[in-house]
Amino acid sequence: MHKQKRGNLLRQTATMLLSCLAVTTLASSAHAEDSLPVLGESASPWKVDVFYENATHFRGKDNTGNRVGLSKFRNTLQAEVDKNLSDGWAFHGIFRGTFDGVYQLNKDEYGKNAGGAVALESSALEGTPVHYLPFGQGIVNWTTAQGIGLPPSNTFGFNSTTPGGLANPSTSPAAVANLPYNPNQGLRLLFDRWGTNPGGVQAAVPVRPCDVDSRGCTDFGGYGDKKRSELEAPEFNDKLDFIREFYVKKNFNLDDGKQVFVKLGKQQVVWGRTDLFRVLDVINPVDYSRNNIYDELQDIRIPMWILQAEYRMGASDTFQDRNVSVVWNFDQFRPNNLGQCGTPNSILDAACILRAFKSLWDNGGTVANFASVLPPGTPGNGPHLSTDFGPHTIGIRNVDLPDWSLKNTQLGIKWEGVTADGISFSLNGLSYRSQLPSLHMFNVGAVNPFIGTVVDTSDLIAFDLVYPRVSLLGGSADFQIPDANLAVRLEAALTHGEEFGNSAQASGYSKNKVFRSVIGLDRPTMIPWINEAEATLFSAQLFYQHIFDHELYDRPFGKVGMVDWKDNFIGTLLIRASLMNARLIPQVIMARDFKAHAFAVAPSVAYRYSDNLSFSVGANFKFRDNQERWHFADQRDSGSFAPFGAYTDANSNTQTGPGAWGLSGLVPLGAFRAGPIGAAWREDEIQFSMKYKF
Amino acid sequence: MNIKANTRILKIVVACSVAFLAQASHAVTDAELDEAFFPYKKGFPTFPGLKAGMVINKSNVDQFKDIISPAHFKLIKEGWMEIPVAEAFDMPLPKQYIEATKQHADKVKLGTTIEGFVAGRPFPQQPSASDPRAGEKLAWNFKYGLNWGDGAIIYPFYWRYINANTGSVERTMKFEFHFLNFMHRTINDPKPNITPNPSQLYRGTYLKVHEPLDLKNTQLLIQAYEDDLKRSDAYLYLGFQRRVRRLATGQTTDSFLGSDLMIEDFEGYNGRVSDYKWTFIETKNALMPYYKHNEMKKFHPDFKESDGYKFIGFTGKANCTPDITWQLRKVHVVEGRPVDAGHPISKRLIYLDAQIMTPSMSTIYDRKGEIWKSFQIGKAHPDFHLPINKGSGIPLDDSGSVIDLQSNHCTAITFRGEIDPAKNPPSLFQVQNLRGGD
Repeated sequence: MHKQKRGNLLRQTATMLLSCLAVTTLASSAHAEDSLPVLGESASPWKVDVFYENATHFRGKDNTGNRVGLSKFRNTLQAEVDKNLSDGWAFHGIFRGTFDGVYQLNKDEYGKNAGGAVALESSALEGTPVHYLPFGQGIVNWTTAQGIGLPPSNTFGFNSTTPGGLANPSTSPAAVANLPYNPNQGLRLLFDRWGTNPGGVQAAVPVRPCDVDSRGCTDFGGYGDKKRSELEAPEFNDKLDFIREFYVKKNFNLDDGKQVFVKLGKQQVVWGRTDLFRVLDVINPVDYSRNNIYDELQDIRIPMWILQAEYRMGASDTFQDRNVSVVWNFDQFRPNNLGQCGTPNSILDAACILRAFKSLWDNGGTVANFASVLPPGTPGNGPHLSTDFGPHTIGIRNVDLPDWSLKNTQLGIKWEGVTADGISFSLNGLSYRSQLPSLHMFNVGAVNPFIGTVVDTSDLIAFDLVYPRVSLLGGSADFQIPDANLAVRLEAALTHGEEFGNSAQASGYSKNKVFRSVIGLDRPTMIPWINEAEATLFSAQLFYQHIFDHELYDRPFGKVGMVDWKDNFIGTLLIRASLMNARLIPQVIMARDFKAHAFAVAPSVAYRYSDNLSFSVGANFKFRDNQERWHFADQRDSGSFAPFGAYTDANSNTQTGPGAWGLSGLVPLGAFRAGPIGAAWREDEIQFSMKYKF
Repeated sequence: MNIKANTRILKIVVACSVAFLAQASHAVTDAELDEAFFPYKKGFPTFPGLKAGMVINKSNVDQFKDIISPAHFKLIKEGWMEIPVAEAFDMPLPKQYIEATKQHADKVKLGTTIEGFVAGRPFPQQPSASDPRAGEKLAWNFKYGLNWGDGAIIYPFYWRYINANTGSVERTMKFEFHFLNFMHRTINDPKPNITPNPSQLYRGTYLKVHEPLDLKNTQLLIQAYEDDLKRSDAYLYLGFQRRVRRLATGQTTDSFLGSDLMIEDFEGYNGRVSDYKWTFIETKNALMPYYKHNEMKKFHPDFKESDGYKFIGFTGKANCTPDITWQLRKVHVVEGRPVDAGHPISKRLIYLDAQIMTPSMSTIYDRKGEIWKSFQIGKAHPDFHLPINKGSGIPLDDSGSVIDLQSNHCTAITFRGEIDPAKNPPSLFQVQNLRGGD
């Protein structure tokens, strides 16, 4: 690293840490001097706990053979603040600031030098020097389109050569003034870290921080448009995410022994009884950019401004415990943070799909293996040529983020209790918004690139991104089976309103009811050769998901319909031992996505040197069978602008209108078949962490 | 019918009658009550060579082997600890409890489990070596004893995990513990039972961790059922998970949060009576860690309270043993062997104080039958403690130590206990209470 840059990095790190330390030190010293603002009884002192944590991760080679190196150098300073206020109220706050130095320490991978020039395939030209051509030099462009008889008004081609908004001379003169500069720099190919897609469509995606390269950067819902400094210190944003929690709570005792419990403020509300994956625990969105699915949910739930009220009725003649709680999430809607393409954690590689598609819409781009070389009427489904799309043709047009309004708030209710036989249960209802985006093909007013005029169509691979409203009904229970020394956890939920990509629909999506469930078994087991005094915990979970009215149809070239599996299981197993009076904790977590045939194993050892200092070392490895089972209809054969690009099958039937015929590949939907484990293949890591409490 | 057959029938009838008579209860006499609750009416026990003010250490411990539990004898012999001896004193239990015993004990009997119990001490009669179920009766006496009365709080409650090889304190836990009897209450209203109680919970134990940071806000709720054949329910709220986890029952025999105690060890024994096969060994005099808190000389230098309350300090090897005085008391020695073959221990030898019926001293044996741990809970006279405890009649758990003699490790425990019903509402012992945490 250049000396001056290293100095800048160290200075910034030191500044951030010192700022946080100053704040927390002030709080601590205020505790000592009792000089913080008086919020209540002075007899109850402020209780402030501050810790620092460093997490350093390294990755090996990705699927391109590139050795990734440092993938996380995250420094966290967190203060937890408590105070009893007057009249029975209590305050709790958690303030967290992090600085991840990876964007400067490994800038070739995640910073300003990330990515590079890419070449895109024309399968029709295999064996020739132009089999792969650089981004911006697609075989099909404005000039070659005219060569096959399209008018000069066609909008194929984009500006990959001329900075300053001037057009590539080869592109449509009509669009000269409006074509943004979209060079072959700072790019990677979609999914290239974990898969290959010969013969399939492929797109390039910018991977540098948005202050270095703004292509494809937009606010997808609190993520996707971050500058390097915002990626480095993600909590310091306009949502004030450095305030992790900030709430007051009180128990109101009623005359009959019942209670009303109120908790108001920025908080996490946890429903359900599962680990790692969520069925009912969906009130707070989750920040997967921090460490994919592998951090404790406590650290990656995105706290929201919420009012919780519980009516605690206690025991009755039938139930040992009863209560009803209402949860009103009155914060502005925020979805899950899916990361930003070019950063270490992009769950399902969704951030790369979104950024690639947004850049395609804004700037145009080369798409590999898109246009078929077969003349109309010739049976067959390829081979194909790389195609330069102009801006505003394919990709993501708009992101529809709900504004704050009363009707956009989210409301949940839970009835929870314990039966006389000791079975804990809950019944849950929630009206919320999907925390995952849905892509709607807008189809109306689209530019037909073949002729450059506005038309209405269907099955167009151009989208608006929305977060649909969802309702959930569910329940959970736990109980023990003494004879087997087992604790059993159950959860189930039925949702209405979730949306799934569906190439069988002209709009590209469908709303489907979804049933999810999990059964979890916990068994502490004395294994004398591990430890005679401390049990080893075996905790297994089996998650199930069923999509109702699932659509999947055979078409001439393959299957079309919903990329998500109709039925899928994910199993997890945690084995955790305890040694040296629980100061040395070796554990292994395993997860298997049964349909994806993907498997992850994460061994780790934590050592608690003292109450104030602990260390851990771990690893994370993923395995898969093969990627072909993840291939899915890519919709290059949708024929959205008939008669252009119409395919003819082996029986000489020709497409007469829009609608995919099943040409498939890994890009762009294979990630959803691969799941969070498969799509992180080749992101194997070795992880070190150190935590110190001041 | 021939004579031989008649003789056989007669033998059966006689045998059944003897068995029935052995099981049948009778009204408890005042003499029996006196012996049970006021064993020192006629004076305190003595032992040759034992005097108040002396210290038993490895140089003279052989002389007093008979009045020291096996584990503690070994500890003294190996130089872990010494026993300063003080005058014994009486610790009479509340008259309501004694009255309830008098009123109800004659209806109590043993079947598969206990039957006819209402309140008080179920079996106030002195244990007899000829009674095959004497050990079991003593276990019931403890279960329905007055440890912490009908309800109490311990806060702060410090546990220190100490490596006795190095003397280093590995961890310091700051707990808050609560106990509540749902049934068989004799002192605090409502009596005898808190209702509604459809699960027939007998007792609740609720605890919360305040320190250290990694375990902060961890909470545990144990609900023990009246039906002794039904396993307790346990719920754990982990601060870092923000949710309540049901515990499998096996976790009650697991090291609790890395300490040298299992949940089963709480209060001397916290399992079901039916989890063990109990054998009465003998009644004898033994040294017990009973004292007057306010009259102790040395207190813990690190733990202080704003109202001036002082925590019992520690002494001996690695500061593993409470710095208190001991006294010679009448005890019943009971041996318990786990019914479950997979249990981590083979047996525990309990020294049950005859007057207050709490297992203040235990020797715990590993699966091979070797001494594994010593367990002691120091009992403080309530009239020489915090003002709120004065006159309560509830002897207070006040200091404790569990020493793992095999791994040279100990958990040193010091209490601030309060017999205060107001701090133990039933709502605290509901699962939902755990979810209101941070």
